[in-house]
Amino acid sequence: MSTALTEKPNAEELPTSSAAAILQDGHYLAPPPDNGGKQWARTTVLVQGSPQELYSLWRATENAPLWQEQIVEVVVTGVNTSRWTMKTGGKTMTWEAEILADEPGKRIAWRSLSDDVNEAGQVVFEPAPGDRGTFVTVLMEFHVGKLANAWESLTGRNPKQGVIENLRHFKAFAETGEIPNSQTAPHGDRGIVGKMKRSLYGENIPTPPGATAV
Amino acid sequence: MKAVCWMGTNKIETQTVPDPELVNPHDAIIKVTRTAICGSDLHLYDGFIPTMEAGDIMGHEFMGIVEEVGKEVHNLKRGDRVVVPFTIACGNCLFCKKKLWSACDNTNPNAHLMEAAYGYSGSGLFGYSHMMGGYAGGQAQYVRVPFANVGPLKLETDLPDEKVLFLSDIFPTGYMAAENAQILPGDTVAVWGTGPVGQFAIASAFMLGAARVIAIDRVPERLAMARSIGAITVNYAEDDVKVLTALKDLTGGIGPDSCIDAVGLEGHSSQLQGLYDKIKTAVMLETDRPVVLRQAVQAVRKGGTLSIPGVYGGMLDKVPFGAAFGKGITMKMGQTNMHTYMKPLLERIETNQIDPSYIISHRITLDQAPDMYKVWRDKKEDVTKIVIDPWQ
Repeated sequence: MSTALTEKPNAEELPTSSAAAILQDGHYLAPPPDNGGKQWARTTVLVQGSPQELYSLWRATENAPLWQEQIVEVVVTGVNTSRWTMKTGGKTMTWEAEILADEPGKRIAWRSLSDDVNEAGQVVFEPAPGDRGTFVTVLMEFHVGKLANAWESLTGRNPKQGVIENLRHFKAFAETGEIPNSQTAPHGDRGIVGKMKRSLYGENIPTPPGATAV
Repeated sequence: MKAVCWMGTNKIETQTVPDPELVNPHDAIIKVTRTAICGSDLHLYDGFIPTMEAGDIMGHEFMGIVEEVGKEVHNLKRGDRVVVPFTIACGNCLFCKKKLWSACDNTNPNAHLMEAAYGYSGSGLFGYSHMMGGYAGGQAQYVRVPFANVGPLKLETDLPDEKVLFLSDIFPTGYMAAENAQILPGDTVAVWGTGPVGQFAIASAFMLGAARVIAIDRVPERLAMARSIGAITVNYAEDDVKVLTALKDLTGGIGPDSCIDAVGLEGHSSQLQGLYDKIKTAVMLETDRPVVLRQAVQAVRKGGTLSIPGVYGGMLDKVPFGAAFGKGITMKMGQTNMHTYMKPLLERIETNQIDPSYIISHRITLDQAPDMYKVWRDKKEDVTKIVIDPWQ
């Protein structure tokens, strides 16, 4: 079973546990609490696919823009390093990221190498009980810096919800090859209120493209 | 293209809007040849379903001709004639594998809205609010159909549109209601609401072996229609008629084996509770008017089954759960798992076991739709079902 984010310098020590600290010795653990400037997001989905397949899909770092919101480019710069570009509300941010742990079919852990974007995370792939697919669990920690502020102030998607939505997109992408999208639906005149509600519904965040062409 | 748009509570307009385009590889664009207004569209018209926004295109009952397909759609080609189910299903998630199509995990782009309200999100639906996916509906000349590789039923028959259109929702919905009622041969089944879903629930109950079906409504022409397919009818609006007493009288005092609530959240009642719900929904202390649900829980026999195809949306008040527990009843409900029923029910139409077009009372154009929403809601002009030809 996997370990917590001990690879991240300065990370708080988490209880050693399975599935990104959801279980310890058969007992459920609450998500790590936020404190100070640090926030945690923990979320999980059941995906129809094997841990190995799903690991490979996630590990293809350069494909992240297909399923992660607002990520426009990922350039692989080394075996364990990559450069990420995010476009959010007209602003572009770039940061370097590094893979800290890479266990094929089981787990990937990473961190950012940037002052602007201070985050670390891991994704764990585990067979679900009863042979019903794979639990994919993401645990991320981030400090509310410019990235979070940019997300919250410009897009209305707070970072925790962003983690949840990205994992949801990953599942749809893995299971169907596409990501459900109704943002281009034709419609009549929305009026002022209807336009404002788009951000309330999260519809102002562009749905990632999934498979590239129709 | 022309489309019927929701512009606010009690406000429907036919507008000119952009044509839909392919977005994802499993999409198809359908040229709509027939579409219908559903009783559940009236919940939108009346403003009972949250997250409808001005400009949203209505309609989830439609069929047509395939105009264009995405590169991963191999089962359909341009020119094919299809009926489209109102629930959108991916075919690959755990729920689709279990044939719980309406619980599909991968078709609601706004799943987070439904998660907030319901705990989990069901599948995306056409033309039924942003919470349910924000997809444009089919009361239009063209519509984009996601997962066209999974949903649309290809027609190899020359049956006219009107005979097969209702495979898009209300016939399977009425059928699943009867199936959910767990009818055994010889059973007596009570059906509240004799609109289209009620009609098909009655017909399906007989198909599944019911010996007696009792239909409850207040609209005389609908009750007459129910009698025409073999039901016994009770008009609750007649003087001194009490539904619970009537159901006891008609079942030797034991109550119906199964009850079907084909009314849902906007039930009417001539009793004091009708006023109670009207006030509470008006001041937003409850969202639904569950008068039928209360009555059906009371009416069903000990150990019986209550099936609920009628739509409920939110918080219900004063539902007699003690009666449900005390009698040990089973309740089954939910959006229709369309994909399971379309083909077998098409076969029943092809073999003349049923002609679903008998419920149609009005045939209209897209431009007439706004006025007809009002007629339908107010139960005027003997309306039972409105079908739209988008190209007239």
